[in-house]
Amino acid sequence: MTICQFFLQGRCRFGDRCWNEHPGAGGLGEGRQQQLSGSNRRGWNTTSQRYSSVIQPSSFSKSTPWGGSRDQEKPSFASFDSGASASRNSGFGLSQNPFASPNSDGQKDEKKLLEGIVKDMEVWESSGQWMFSVYSPVKKKPNISGFTDISPEELRLEYHNFLTSNNLQSYLHSIQQLINQWRNRVNELKSLNTSTTIALLSDIKGGVNQAAPTFGFGSRPSVTFGSPGFPVNNNSSINAQNFSFKPSSGFATAPSGNPSVFGNTPAFGAVPSANSAITASTPAFGLGKPQITSAASFSFKSPAASGFGSSGFSAFPAPMAVGPVGAPETPAFGSGSSSARFGSLGSQSHTAFSKSSSGTFGNSSISTSLSFSNGSTTTDNVLFTPKDQLTAEELEQFQSKKFTLGKIPLKPPPVELLNI
Amino acid sequence: MRSVSAVIRAVSSTGVRRTLGSRDSCSCHLAIASSAPERGRRLPSSSRSPSPAFLRGATLRAQMSLFGAASGFGTGGASMFGSAAADNHNPMKDIEVTSSPDDSIGCLSFSPPTLPGNFLIAGSWANDVRCWEVQDSGQTIPKAQQMHTGPVLDVCWSDDGSKVFTASCDKTAKMWDLNSNQAIQIAQHDAPVKTIHWIKAPNYSCVMTGSWDKTLKFWDTRSSNPMMVLQLPERCYCADMIYPMAVVATAERGLIVYQLENQPSEFRRIESPLKHQHRCVAIFKDKQNKPTGFALGSIEGRVAIHYINPPNPAKDNFTFKCHRSNGTNTSAPQDIYAVNGIAFHPVHGTLATVGSDGRFSFWDKDARTKLKTSEQLDQPISACCFNHNGNIFAYASSYDWSKGHEFYNPQKKNYIFLRNAAEELKPRNKK
Repeated sequence: MTICQFFLQGRCRFGDRCWNEHPGAGGLGEGRQQQLSGSNRRGWNTTSQRYSSVIQPSSFSKSTPWGGSRDQEKPSFASFDSGASASRNSGFGLSQNPFASPNSDGQKDEKKLLEGIVKDMEVWESSGQWMFSVYSPVKKKPNISGFTDISPEELRLEYHNFLTSNNLQSYLHSIQQLINQWRNRVNELKSLNTSTTIALLSDIKGGVNQAAPTFGFGSRPSVTFGSPGFPVNNNSSINAQNFSFKPSSGFATAPSGNPSVFGNTPAFGAVPSANSAITASTPAFGLGKPQITSAASFSFKSPAASGFGSSGFSAFPAPMAVGPVGAPETPAFGSGSSSARFGSLGSQSHTAFSKSSSGTFGNSSISTSLSFSNGSTTTDNVLFTPKDQLTAEELEQFQSKKFTLGKIPLKPPPVELLNI
Repeated sequence: MRSVSAVIRAVSSTGVRRTLGSRDSCSCHLAIASSAPERGRRLPSSSRSPSPAFLRGATLRAQMSLFGAASGFGTGGASMFGSAAADNHNPMKDIEVTSSPDDSIGCLSFSPPTLPGNFLIAGSWANDVRCWEVQDSGQTIPKAQQMHTGPVLDVCWSDDGSKVFTASCDKTAKMWDLNSNQAIQIAQHDAPVKTIHWIKAPNYSCVMTGSWDKTLKFWDTRSSNPMMVLQLPERCYCADMIYPMAVVATAERGLIVYQLENQPSEFRRIESPLKHQHRCVAIFKDKQNKPTGFALGSIEGRVAIHYINPPNPAKDNFTFKCHRSNGTNTSAPQDIYAVNGIAFHPVHGTLATVGSDGRFSFWDKDARTKLKTSEQLDQPISACCFNHNGNIFAYASSYDWSKGHEFYNPQKKNYIFLRNAAEELKPRNKK
């Protein structure tokens, strides 16, 4: 296609309907299509007009499908909020200016969206509404990662279960963690630094199916690094970037890059069986790590002999007792029958939970649980490698204080080297 | 922590029987001598009764976590007792049902028209299901009770009024034959059963149960295997059924409509019109008495009215805000409460919503106006229901866990109120 001379001068009056090539604006057209509700239609109009034989320089035709496709907010009752949508429309109007750069359209919409999100977060925090709910900035969009859905009844049932098992302390603790996590996420969304923005936009545009099936009650549900099943492949790199073991809210911010997994607490059954799930997650976390270690960007702040995930834990602030993280993991893993982790109900998992939970979960606010759900009816040799299967180099890596970049083993470490 | 353990002891002494005594419901009949309904007002009543403690606690939200640290339990309970100055448990002066359950009421259901008289069923978190006969004089007579091994989350009647189906956190659903007062288990899930509905189709009848195990199962009551199992994208949070349509709202803002003709099948998955967690759903009918859409309530004080096949989706579907503290005044941060239940008047087609703020409201969705908002009760209203001819509106005042365990007071009495709904729910004339 020929390059549009007017665009280069900054004054193409067709904008993205222009038949000629606007260098740098092509990508934005596609991005916009997924972005907003009804935008499909608009994008569709865009492309069709491009190839239609009739040139319609007037850009007003765009606004009608936009207005018509919104199938909500005719606010007859008190003003429906949609700061986002209303302002988006006006932002749209602005872009009618033929002299405006064609990029501004998409960007303005994003901006409105983000502003809407910020506003919603503020309202959410100040209104005292139920906090364990998913959220989506515009009605038809997928949920934003980082929030899990817990209904009041589920929470109450958990309370009753814990009450009968006389383990109220762990319940309270888990609640506290969930709240903190929620709060962190809300603050993050309110402050909107660049990384969260990018993650957010990819969330929304990507329309990633949040499929956050379950939450780990008592654990930090949002934090799941690694896509299901021990990724050694591409996913891991994304996760790894976010793996920076920052203390405090590190976990809230970190995973934002990978929406499909983020809100995803796989491997956690529904609430009642969450007990079993909790036990699952600990080992899952510890075990999953080594797979991800292939991505070199792990920042293992404090080196530990095992070079293992648990070492990262020690970077965390006081409330988390470092020690128990490693300790109960293995026994919990070893003792609980592997299938007992998922969706298995009943008392056995329950007690396992109450045993290890206050220790591990209460303390480690990190419950990164790689999705165990892929039927890892685990036996030891899936999660750990027996020593004899490791090459000398890998063994050396595991035994050293830190991994050397480029030499990080792809296999999980042997159980013997775990720092218990 | 002492306070916590004290509570555990108190709670574990099961069946803290409140002395109900002879709580004779006032023999006034159901005609309500209340103030004239405030028609068409868009704002909730401006004069707020002194805000009850549990809500006052919420206003301290500024920096504090609602579900503070473990020490919260004692304080929450105490403050509720403290503010007994104005007894706001029944500001609307409605009829109280005698022998109300001992713990929060999760669901209410009136008997179908096939049964003469009105019978009310309530399931509670005390693991029981109770049945009352409601007489026209307003007297309520407790009739029978059945137990589950877990809190009862949903109840429904069979179409002939002889059986009651109950769904519970013990992962089972039971069929209670009222004539013999026997209950048998008819359904099994892997997680608590959240919704239960009786389907009467021309060529089949079954019980539909929705559960947190992400399945929707259909049961012939005679067999222990489900007739059909449909997968849900997420945990089932609420459902409603009017033949031939059923709608299920799940976690993660999932929304699915099923058509039940011939055999149940998924009809459409709908993008949620709400931004937050779904809480309750109710189907409404058109003038020809066919189900045509549903109302969906969320935890964010908002209800969405959604038609299945509207002529003009943009204009016909809408959402409205409700159960908020500040009306349209946007300067001060509002308190936003969850919508706990929605019920449609069987005759007028107007709807009632009940919320965690302890109020109920009546709305006309066609005229898009609010008909009435009640005074604020001192507890959230957790469930509501109309009887078969729309004369009685029942609502339950009990804690719905909207503020967590700290505000849970097992000593607090739970009520079910009955209100004459014939007049107040008449629709506005459309302009």
